[in-house]
Amino acid sequence: MLLLPRFDYEEPKDLSEACKILAGLKGNGKIIAGGTDLLVNMKKGLVSPSCLVSIGRIPGLSEIEPQNSSIFIGSNLIVAKLTEFALIRKRYPMLYEAASVLGSPLIRNRATIGGNIVTARPAADLPPPLIAMGAKIKLKNKRGEREIELEKFFKGPGETIIKQDEILTGIILDEPPMFSGGSYIKLGHRKALEIAIVAVASFITLDKPDGIIVDAKVILSSVAPKAIHAVSAEKTLIGEKPTNKLIEKAANLASGDCTPIDDIRGSAEYRCAMVEVLTKRTLTAALKQAKKSR
Amino acid sequence: MKDFSVINKRLPRVDAWSKVTGEARYAADLSMPNMLYAVLFQSPLAHAKILNIDTSAAKKIVGVKDIVTYKEAGTIRYGVSPARYDETMFCYDKVRYVGDEIAAVAAIDFETAMEAASLIKVDYEELPFYLNVFDAIKEGAVPIHDDYPNNIGAEVHQEFGNVEDAFKECDYIRTDRFVNKKQDGGFLEPQACLAYYDMNGNLTLYTSTQTPHYVQRTVSMVLNIPIGKVRVVKPYVGGGFGPKASANTIELAASLLSMRTGRPVKMVMNREQVFMHSRGRHQFYHELTTGVKKDGTIHALKNTCYLDGGAYSSFGIATVYYAGSLLGAPYRLPNMKYDGYRVYTNKPACGAQRGHGGVAARAAWEQQLDIIAGELGIDPIEFRLKNVREKGEVTCNDFNLSSFGMKECLEAIRDRSDWKNKKGKLPKGKGIGVACGFFVSGAGYPIYRSETFHSTAMIKLSEDGGTVELYTAAAEIGQGSDTVLTMMAAEALGVRYEDVKIYSGDTDFGVDLGAYSSRQTLMSGHAVKQAAEDVKRQVLEVLSKRLNIPVEDMDIKDGYIVFKKGPVDFSGIRSYYIKEHRGWAEQPSDDRLTFKEAARIAYIERGTIVSTGAYKPGELGGKYKGATVGTSPAYGCSAQIVEVTVDMETGKVTVDKMTDAHDCGFAINRTNVEGQMQGSLSMGLGEALFEEVKFDEKGRVANPTFGEYRIPTALDMPNVNTIIIESDEPNGPFGAKEVGEGAIMPTIPAILNAIYDAVGVRIDELPVTSERLYNAIKEKERKK
Repeated sequence: MLLLPRFDYEEPKDLSEACKILAGLKGNGKIIAGGTDLLVNMKKGLVSPSCLVSIGRIPGLSEIEPQNSSIFIGSNLIVAKLTEFALIRKRYPMLYEAASVLGSPLIRNRATIGGNIVTARPAADLPPPLIAMGAKIKLKNKRGEREIELEKFFKGPGETIIKQDEILTGIILDEPPMFSGGSYIKLGHRKALEIAIVAVASFITLDKPDGIIVDAKVILSSVAPKAIHAVSAEKTLIGEKPTNKLIEKAANLASGDCTPIDDIRGSAEYRCAMVEVLTKRTLTAALKQAKKSR
Repeated sequence: MKDFSVINKRLPRVDAWSKVTGEARYAADLSMPNMLYAVLFQSPLAHAKILNIDTSAAKKIVGVKDIVTYKEAGTIRYGVSPARYDETMFCYDKVRYVGDEIAAVAAIDFETAMEAASLIKVDYEELPFYLNVFDAIKEGAVPIHDDYPNNIGAEVHQEFGNVEDAFKECDYIRTDRFVNKKQDGGFLEPQACLAYYDMNGNLTLYTSTQTPHYVQRTVSMVLNIPIGKVRVVKPYVGGGFGPKASANTIELAASLLSMRTGRPVKMVMNREQVFMHSRGRHQFYHELTTGVKKDGTIHALKNTCYLDGGAYSSFGIATVYYAGSLLGAPYRLPNMKYDGYRVYTNKPACGAQRGHGGVAARAAWEQQLDIIAGELGIDPIEFRLKNVREKGEVTCNDFNLSSFGMKECLEAIRDRSDWKNKKGKLPKGKGIGVACGFFVSGAGYPIYRSETFHSTAMIKLSEDGGTVELYTAAAEIGQGSDTVLTMMAAEALGVRYEDVKIYSGDTDFGVDLGAYSSRQTLMSGHAVKQAAEDVKRQVLEVLSKRLNIPVEDMDIKDGYIVFKKGPVDFSGIRSYYIKEHRGWAEQPSDDRLTFKEAARIAYIERGTIVSTGAYKPGELGGKYKGATVGTSPAYGCSAQIVEVTVDMETGKVTVDKMTDAHDCGFAINRTNVEGQMQGSLSMGLGEALFEEVKFDEKGRVANPTFGEYRIPTALDMPNVNTIIIESDEPNGPFGAKEVGEGAIMPTIPAILNAIYDAVGVRIDELPVTSERLYNAIKEKERKK
């Protein structure tokens, strides 16, 4: 039987109180949101914070807030909500796709968008589409707040640039440009409770419905210590008119853009091959959407 | 068909309320005042000599009450089959796998026990270790058990007919190999127990087990306590599937610690320990050579199998027999030769698991038969229909098929799945496949040599006559035995389902070999039916005397006395009953004499009405060595059609639809029968596509979690079209026989055959992960 070690628990009512408590703990504290990762790791003895600080009672952190030309998603919003809001499904379908394959229905009812980001797992489902769409995140401590691009947040497995007194308060997503589209596909063994063998998020923007690709993001997941860009695939796409041939070429290049490892879930060789398949599929789906979008 | 009141219906389970509301208590939920918590100390090495065990630092921890090793436990050997008792409670000379148990610590709480266990120091001398069969049997390999110098713990050589001669008469012969992977039971409830040795020297052991009787005997033998002083009680159990069908170390250790401390002791395995204890499905390496005539008549089979047994025998001696004998049916196979070898390796011990011994063999053969049918240009269902046996036939290895709805199963799935319009006509990437299955309905012999009854039952009537108390030692482990035994008691006695209260899973209630080998509906059912019929006789005898009507002119049905020859004046009994129960609830008032009134009269006349029933199989076929494994009072059979979609670019398989027919003889509870079919299919689907216990280079389980060991989720299971075939088994109570294990048999090969239909490749290694299938598809494209 695995037992949870002893710890203190704080439930601050607002952000400034939370920041104060966290700063006072000097690295011995951890923010708890859904706890689907943290509590398991504590039981395994991988982390042993002396105090858990809940953000569950802080107003505003569990909501989606549409702003002028963007939306703010509170870090404590459970993943299931991302699959329920019509706004997400309509405007950010790629995020909806990723949220609906994260964990299992049970996990999605507890796990939060913030948790899926700060744990920095190489196969996390939400970062690839968020990075592809250029998401920014807000980090707050008692001295102030900073806003950074999500993609600059990750350093490696479990490692980010967050400071020990900072709280991830939310994600900012700009409204997607005209004639853009995105798609996320995860390859796992089962239909739920899967850590991806490979996952790909692609996001492209056209200058007009039948125009050329002005921006392209191809994010590969589970093939490196963190989600990465398929750099040469992106380069190939930008400035070109989208054709099946171009997509195939980009997909082929994407598989060369990563250096996955053999592990318990799949071999490097298979992963590379699947990067190609999933890149092709996500780009095809993204293009279809882009042509239709407004 | 006879007119039944209770059985053959869809009644809710007797434990439904208790389980859905959370009222049900499992072993890990139990506690007692003054209870201690104990944990195991287990080997970190796969194979090593033990030089010294030092528990002194652990003993110094405040709150530690006792630490036991082989020095305290002794070295009495136990196991499953007395012919292969190769385990001791704790290791003394050496450890044989990562997880082998060395000591147990009892303390005032789990934290203290775990802290103390981490301070136990053991000095080892490492030995070479073997993680696969072929390394273990290599010349010069170090024996894992001294008694078996070549690491072959059991071997079987059987031949029925003459295979070599028969091959000469065949028009087409082919050889194929097949290998599955070690599968875990995947039950949701880890093993847990609570032992209490009281002041009078009686041991009560509450434990999550399939076989209270075998646990009782093992505990008694290893701890040297008379059997009558050991009571094993099975609380609610969250699945077993085979691995819980024998005594485990925590049951023995908790009992020993309670005897030594005089306090109740609780032990609970964590999921990693469940994987290390294992006793799940073996890995089988089969090589099958099958010979047929050009008209499709199956003529001969040569089967060679190596089983990766792990560090101890467990049920393995039976497994190695089943891996051969279960191919004796459902087809008319006149010549069969089998050579089986169960090999010790330095991994967790394998044992019995749903479809014991036969699942990999069945998968291998049904795929091969599909290939053969294809080569001969015969439709796979026609091919099977041509070869299947029928009721009354006896197999080459002496299995008497006293009922056998194999043909009906095949025809039912063919018609219900629209096979004719799908087979060979689906677009690329879509496929349909078929396979048959076959299984015993209860082991014909207990695991130890004995003339014992396999099941006993006792029924007692409450003094008011209103409640029928059924006592059985049968083990409800989620499969529904409490429900079907209750239904059979109600039917045989003639009362309503809700009038029967069942008490089960307790060795104080009688003898029952337990929930394994798909035996309880048939065997425990016989005992229960017999006891119920005897109660009925007793009540009617008293009534006969009272009313002066012959017993044979009366019956009991739906809780009422039936007077076959017209109305009878029973007003004397009615007013007597009412007088005796003035002011009580539920006074009889209708115009029929109730069972309750009659039973009250019987009590007044004779005292407590008690009856017993007992069952053991009659004479079974087979005089050859090993005939005791596979002979059964009855045999179940099944057929299945699976439809799949294969993603040609990723190799990912999606099972779209399953159509399954199973001959269970007679369905006692139709919903329960379907539940067993669906559960079996899900387990088969998992073994076919996802499941594999993996090991790292040091012999540690690499995926001991349900995150990385993948049992199918609800989302991975398609809807199953379940078809119940009833062949009225003459040796079963009310005609019933098994469904619990046989239903898994066709699943894996039906999936494999469907994959072939979809993409044209044959996979001879499980699980069919997307990567494995992708590689096979690429390989085929390269060869083009």
